[in-house]
Amino acid sequence: MTNDAALMDEDTMSLADYLSRGGKLTSPDNVPPRYRGELLRLMSSFVDSELAGSAGFADAINWAPGLKERIAASRITLEKVDHAERVLDLMSDFGTDKALYNKAHTWSARQPRDSHVDPRRQGGDMRLSVFHYPLESWTDAVVMNALMGLATVHQLEEQCLTSYQPLGEVFREILPRERRHMELGLEGLERIAKDETQREDARTSIGYWMPRVAETFGPAQSARFERLRQLGLRHKDNETMRFAWQADADARLAGLGLA
Amino acid sequence: MARFHSLEVTDIRRDTRDAVVVTLKPDDADNGAFDFTQGQYLTFRRMFDGEELRRSYSICAGKDEGCLKVGIKRVEGGAFSTWANENLKVGDRLEAMTPMGRFFTELQPDAARNYLGFAGGSGITPVLSIVKTVLAREPESTFTLIYANRQTSSIMFREELEDLKNLYLGRLSLIHILETETQDIDLFTGRIDQEKMEMLFRLWIDAENVDMAFICGPEPMMLTIADSLRKHGLTDDQIRFELFASSQPGRAKTKASSKSAAAAAGTCQVSVTLDGTTRNFQMEKDGTSVLDAAISNSMDAPFSCKAGVCSTCRAKVIEGEVEMEVNHALEDYEVRAGYVLSCQCLPVSDKVVISYDE
Repeated sequence: MTNDAALMDEDTMSLADYLSRGGKLTSPDNVPPRYRGELLRLMSSFVDSELAGSAGFADAINWAPGLKERIAASRITLEKVDHAERVLDLMSDFGTDKALYNKAHTWSARQPRDSHVDPRRQGGDMRLSVFHYPLESWTDAVVMNALMGLATVHQLEEQCLTSYQPLGEVFREILPRERRHMELGLEGLERIAKDETQREDARTSIGYWMPRVAETFGPAQSARFERLRQLGLRHKDNETMRFAWQADADARLAGLGLA
Repeated sequence: MARFHSLEVTDIRRDTRDAVVVTLKPDDADNGAFDFTQGQYLTFRRMFDGEELRRSYSICAGKDEGCLKVGIKRVEGGAFSTWANENLKVGDRLEAMTPMGRFFTELQPDAARNYLGFAGGSGITPVLSIVKTVLAREPESTFTLIYANRQTSSIMFREELEDLKNLYLGRLSLIHILETETQDIDLFTGRIDQEKMEMLFRLWIDAENVDMAFICGPEPMMLTIADSLRKHGLTDDQIRFELFASSQPGRAKTKASSKSAAAAAGTCQVSVTLDGTTRNFQMEKDGTSVLDAAISNSMDAPFSCKAGVCSTCRAKVIEGEVEMEVNHALEDYEVRAGYVLSCQCLPVSDKVVISYDE
């Protein structure tokens, strides 16, 4: 990278054109201001969701019915923080104070179970709204982890195409591990579905979490999506994404006899 | 927070008519901090006419050369590059941040990979560092470099690349594409466009065997190359871009500050620009931040932590006076240039003009 450098006059092109044609940006030094704001916002939403998700899931470790489940829950709790840190490292390149960031919010804080949290971000904590709702049991935690895990996989697959290359690289590293978290959720759900009483509890939890996870894909009509698409920070619209996740989730639950 | 270190200029070599290669030596205590990875860059700062200017230049040395070198090409009207080309001398000291950037992949000494590099003009600097390091540290790997320039006389590192070709016989293929000079092979004359890429793939590059591609040059060239690489089956994680920072906004103007109005309480007339649209509203000087006021006036201003930590809400004060309660994210030079964290920003004067677009 070289500042001040242009090869030939006719080689200049507006950044908007470059991004809309699939160009990548590679460092804080070459992102324009509005892009910077949107990118940091996207990254902090991811970081906050991972930190809040991990903090909420920590309880599940002690609800785990067996050692295998305890290990799975511990692993998910650990790795989500690691994923948050990787993206936080990229934010640090823009000036974010990493140490203070961790202390900025109470990541384990939750709203009452029956409250309705506006899916638009509230206050300074940028976690997705689904992470404001509390988990209440092992079965509940497994259901939430499977459904939200699947949503995360769909969302990360799209985000791997992001125009900010360093973030795309981090997401490509993270994706297989997040996919594994989702699979651990499905494996747990498979065991739960074999027991008649637990199966009913699982159905209740699915009824609770399904609409809340669906909301994490954002509003069907979104001016923000259009802006992010022009910047190459988003590619598939919210409704298409939500529809694909819903179909995927329905098929997997049907396979477990939980539809 | 980023810190600058002082480096000594130990050598300056003129490479082409308008480019120099500068060798730098950190103080002994900083040696570890300047242990770079191939493909990274250094950010320098220097005062020009009382204003701090920062410029980044890629390291062109390989990992095993035991020194830090950057290539600086003079650009018309570029204060730093002109100064470096005309006035910098051995023994001078330059201030630089430690190496940054992610234009590299992990090397494995026992891997036998085929790398493909595309460089346009001074975009060669980080690619050269990668070429040298790969050839030295992955003895089984090969590198094909396609290097576009206007004419022979403007080719940076021409001799060094020839030497590398001879040193690593059979492992480095070098193709020069010259825009305005006729060569023996027609394919190598002109600009890199879709058609030329097709011919390169047909005749010179076996896309199926390429493990990793690096591209550094002007934006349109990078797009053309990336499109073509994808068409030939390379995935996004096999294509690494490094963008010139040419699109970086120009020098920050000194902030205009009207000292006349400094009422402690009352209302403030605020004007906020976001995405090219300016909205005016009044806000109370009651401890409400400019960000919150903008949001409550239905503006979709960017923010995240609201605690002065993350810097998502950075904006520039164009006119008026504000006070920033907490700042953990902006550096001194940004503050001097008029940038604020709008979540921590309370109006002091009776009129404030702020922009998120600068």
